[in-house]
Amino acid sequence: MMLLIFAVLVLAFALSWWRRDLPARLAIAACLLLSIGLFLWEIYSPEYGFAMPWLQG
Amino acid sequence: MSIVRIDAPETQRLLAWGNYAYLLAMMAVIAAILTAAMVMQYAFGELPCPLCLLQRVAMFGVCFGIFMQFRGGFSYGNTGIAMLFALLLLVVAERQTLLDIYPRPGHAYIGSAVFGLHMPVWSIVIGFVLLIAFTMKLAILGGDRHLEAVPVRSFPRLAMAGTIVGLYVIALAVINLASVAVQCGVGECHTMGYALLGYTAPAS
Repeated sequence: MMLLIFAVLVLAFALSWWRRDLPARLAIAACLLLSIGLFLWEIYSPEYGFAMPWLQG
Repeated sequence: MSIVRIDAPETQRLLAWGNYAYLLAMMAVIAAILTAAMVMQYAFGELPCPLCLLQRVAMFGVCFGIFMQFRGGFSYGNTGIAMLFALLLLVVAERQTLLDIYPRPGHAYIGSAVFGLHMPVWSIVIGFVLLIAFTMKLAILGGDRHLEAVPVRSFPRLAMAGTIVGLYVIALAVINLASVAVQCGVGECHTMGYALLGYTAPAS
């Protein structure tokens, strides 16, 4: 997943370099959505969900 | 005493120059931060965690929004893209800081502290400063008449500098792509070693 995110990021930069504005924006939007998806997957715990019980005194 | 007229051509040109110089400085600072992160990785063996890599993606995203201003001309859409990624940086860094703020088995700040602060805490500072920088730019250089009237190509040296820094950021993104391929392969990323160099994560 992380590899895909960086690949789409590089694709977005390449498209912007060749002044393909709309495809570049679509690629960076895909990169953003994939990043949010991976972020939520990374912080989800089967035990706690999205909660952070270690912060509660 | 002369009165500065905001709609005078020379004032519009000065405001446009200020806008592009400001954006160029922001992109250069982020490029320097990403370079420092890679030096920490390759020279000191501090491999980035998955959330650390997402913070790099967020910084690259901010650079993308700025780079588009130099390639495709000014647009508030590009400013919006950069601000969205600055927000992503802030959210990811805050969550990682909250994950590691209370040391317990399997959770502690990764890497060495710089001036007493660890990487995710620095990322919070960076994300916050980036958002402040964008809002300050909008507040001080906000009107867009000068940006429509004076495109970046009116300042050849500034446009060239933007292209050079942008190319450097693209090179950093390509190196990071290769690095992620070696560290993570097509699976999960681990901070203990590079997957393609033989590291296998212990079974949990």
